[in-house]
Amino acid sequence: MSSKSPNGPDNTTRNLVIGMVVLVVAVGAIFSVLSNKENTSAALPSSVSKADGYGIVFNGDVKGVPVVDIWEDFQCPVCARFEQTNGDYIEKLITDKKAKVVFHTLSFLGPESSLAANAAACASDENKFLGFHKAFYKNLPAENAGIITTEYLIALGKFANITSAKYGECVKNLNYKEWVNNVAASGGEKNINSTPTVFVNGKEIRRATSGADLGDYFDPAAFAKAVEGK
Amino acid sequence: MKKARPWIGLLARLILGGVLLVAGYLKAFSPDKSMMAVRAYEVLPIWLANALGIILPWLEIGAGILLIIGVAIRYAAIFGSALMVLFIIAIAQAWARGLSIDCGCFGGGGTVDPSQTRYLEEILRDTGLALCGLYLLRYPLTKFALEKKPSQGE
Repeated sequence: MSSKSPNGPDNTTRNLVIGMVVLVVAVGAIFSVLSNKENTSAALPSSVSKADGYGIVFNGDVKGVPVVDIWEDFQCPVCARFEQTNGDYIEKLITDKKAKVVFHTLSFLGPESSLAANAAACASDENKFLGFHKAFYKNLPAENAGIITTEYLIALGKFANITSAKYGECVKNLNYKEWVNNVAASGGEKNINSTPTVFVNGKEIRRATSGADLGDYFDPAAFAKAVEGK
Repeated sequence: MKKARPWIGLLARLILGGVLLVAGYLKAFSPDKSMMAVRAYEVLPIWLANALGIILPWLEIGAGILLIIGVAIRYAAIFGSALMVLFIIAIAQAWARGLSIDCGCFGGGGTVDPSQTRYLEEILRDTGLALCGLYLLRYPLTKFALEKKPSQGE
């Protein structure tokens, strides 16, 4: 920096730098805000209900049963543990029409969560969401390690008996990318601050308070009690 | 001592600016998580927490760049210090209320296992950073700053 006059060039550079920094901050912030907004024209998987926070709904038409909302992220290891603990029970609730179950697939853990959530929606179009869900968690790869790719997700579909070419196209083309964002935005509005978060009839089930305590989440009997209310 | 001031100032600029820039960068591109981190403090209304979670990382990046380059040092330093004081208050209230959250300072955030909270370290770190900012506010003349004559405010 050679400042010839005491104030002139120094001031110009200063203002130029300030202007550029302000521009970067403004553009970045505006871009972030816009890309996080709910997109009301997003393509939705067939089982998704906007009224249920864009979740994937089972037994939406069954009346007089408890409503179980499950908020999860496919890359969250604790969600895998929740699935291993209660997955079969939840599946039975669905097949026996004992509860309305809504899965909300968040994607805050990173881009690979978004890929997985998109694929889950594609699987739901084949009526194979639960199978995909189970197969995915059974083989949960390390977080954001580059393992969850479209090829991986298509191959995984075979474990859930999904063989249609339509599924592959849907995974590859990220058909439900906008929907994944909408689920995330809905999670923000509903104040979901960790995964899994489970609500029964709109009330969160009891979370463990210490290491030894399982809470309602990881004790199958306590979970069933929380759902059935007995 | 007087001779050392611009050098201490340079160090303060690089520490506070560097931390702000890195912290902002790590959060700016995962807004879902950043919003979650702010919500988890359970202080602000949800819509405001979400807005802050998106915008704050970019403001941190801006202040960090200004401090590192050495432009508008006093303004960036006031902003940085004020931010740290707010963080300290937010963390302290979470601690006092018995929440178990990650501060979400460098990405991450949200509810964590009670054994994984680090409130004391987080508060001490933010105190140190706030002091860097206050030092720059008092002695804004530093080495290798783009702006040679920052306003002294005298």
